[in-house]
Amino acid sequence: MPIPQPELDALYVQVHKRLVESGEWDRIHHLLASKLSESGWTDDLRHRTKERARVMDPLTFQALLEEITPQAKATVPLAVKREVTNAIKGYVKEQFEK
Amino acid sequence: MSASPSPESAHQTLSEASMSDIGRCSHFASALIDGAAKASILDKYKTVVAWQARRSQEASSPAKRRKISAPTCGTCEVSLSRPFACLRCSYAGCWSEGHISDHLKGAGHAFCVDTRSGSVFCAECNDFIYDTSMDNIYLSTVVAVEERQTNFQVAKRGREPYQIWTPSDEESAALNDATVLPCQGRRGLLNLGQTCFLNVILQSFIHNPLLRNYFLGDRHNNKLCKHTDCTCCEMDNLFQEIYSANTTPFGPTSFLATTWKVSAEVSGYSQQDAHEFFITALNQIHGTCRGSTNISCNCIIHSTFAGQLQSDVTCERCGNVTSTVDPMLDISLELKGKTGEAVSGDNTLAGCLRRFTKPEKLGAKEYSCSKCTKVSPEAVKRLSIRKLPPVLSFQFKRFEHKTAGKSSPQKIDAAVRFPVTLNMAPYTTLVMNSKAKDGEKGYPGPDAMYEYDLFAVINHEGQMDNGHYTNFARFQDEWYRFDDDKVTPSTLGACLDSHAYMCFYVKRHLDYKPYMKPSYRLTRESDIVKEQALEKEKEAARMKEVDDALMAMVGAD
Repeated sequence: MPIPQPELDALYVQVHKRLVESGEWDRIHHLLASKLSESGWTDDLRHRTKERARVMDPLTFQALLEEITPQAKATVPLAVKREVTNAIKGYVKEQFEK
Repeated sequence: MSASPSPESAHQTLSEASMSDIGRCSHFASALIDGAAKASILDKYKTVVAWQARRSQEASSPAKRRKISAPTCGTCEVSLSRPFACLRCSYAGCWSEGHISDHLKGAGHAFCVDTRSGSVFCAECNDFIYDTSMDNIYLSTVVAVEERQTNFQVAKRGREPYQIWTPSDEESAALNDATVLPCQGRRGLLNLGQTCFLNVILQSFIHNPLLRNYFLGDRHNNKLCKHTDCTCCEMDNLFQEIYSANTTPFGPTSFLATTWKVSAEVSGYSQQDAHEFFITALNQIHGTCRGSTNISCNCIIHSTFAGQLQSDVTCERCGNVTSTVDPMLDISLELKGKTGEAVSGDNTLAGCLRRFTKPEKLGAKEYSCSKCTKVSPEAVKRLSIRKLPPVLSFQFKRFEHKTAGKSSPQKIDAAVRFPVTLNMAPYTTLVMNSKAKDGEKGYPGPDAMYEYDLFAVINHEGQMDNGHYTNFARFQDEWYRFDDDKVTPSTLGACLDSHAYMCFYVKRHLDYKPYMKPSYRLTRESDIVKEQALEKEKEAARMKEVDDALMAMVGAD
């Protein structure tokens, strides 16, 4: 049966809180960072952002972030996305089973 | 910054901007004028940065069942994994939902800080600001936290706290009289006849921060050195030339000549292997360095490049582990598997390092266990890095030696992906051993001790016997391509796309062993003591002569 949105929001905050407080968030983040680095995604993004910043005028962080974010999200390797999503799902499932 | 059409002038603008505080935020500068306000802002800054640095330690040692402190956003109450903290009040908030910037505007508070990177955001400028003094405060705060989080394994001591150098009155006076030169080492090297192998290695030395600091710091003065054919003097001379105001390409003729005299095997005008020359040069510089020793040397070469490799052999029958520790100056990585096939799929530096540290079964009769005294066909050997050097040099073994059955040695040209920043923790003895114990995981130290940044890459194009070496090197935050005498601005992307033969990484934060003095200082101090004793003797001898002469005069009366 569908859960009403406000309850979903409250659940999200709860799960998010547990993720952060247990340190699982940082562990998954570490996993994500190392997988992205090994696949070359991080360095590719660094290179593209730097070259874009070199010629952008006026240069502001927000403008750069807005421009780069869509391509950054789109180029995340599928395998990495899958692995991290599964790690999150695993933890959430575990929390609900407790 | 004005828009410029050519990449070269834009290149210059970026580095100029970082050298002077052109982009400095006037709002931040004026906020720091009042002493009390400045103290309050800086204290808050240091507190939140230190808090974040400590917190990241808690996250990586899961043994503690305690909860990690997680502030919640003052607006939406979601737990913050990456808090942005207001520098005026105790508010912390999310960046992505705009809550922190809403707070700054609403409360009229001007600045907030990203606790993870230490970057300061100015609400008036509506942008992150550049401030070298804040960068320094960030670095010293984080390093202070890291120092407290690490312990030397063998010495069981803490790290020596980093202290900023403050010049004495004498030193200040000397500095005031000195000529200021721009600290830039972008100078091409002339090819003296198939010497591109020499040039790329020299460029990797020139852009090596530890070597650069040593020689520019006048630690080996070629005018005072008494050795002949001293490669260390050649290095000093090289640094003087490169960092001089002269930008025309430099011909390293005396360096080459000295190298030939000392090591006959690298002499002659044929193409040499850059890696062989690299090792030869390191040994020569070590040999001519003041105070260098054969065991536990801490000359500039060993302080910079020397690490330790541990080999653990486990007897599968009785479980006895024999460990041997060997010194290493660099790491050579295979690009082919054991049976000679090219490795596919995992063609990354990390993949090479995993293969390097993978346990391998020893063949029958290769090992006999000292404990169960059997020639054990079941033994497993595993390599790991026991001690990480400040500068890590990697060589990809692209050149096979002549093997029976192959007509001519082949060059493996395949690309190997290497990163700009490298974390070596997974390949160290400490971390690999702690993973082996089920569940038990000691804290291996802060990430910064294992993180390295790429600063030079050596490339080889063409075939084994007739090819050409070029290299990339990073100066401040920009990449340049060096092709003998031609130096051109380049990009990170071009560097990473190149097929690397050798890569050089430098540790992000250096850790100082307490109560240690480098050997050249100890030697110089003992030399000074010897010279003073000699002076005293001479003086005493002179006085005796005068006395004798006086006595003779008196006696004659």
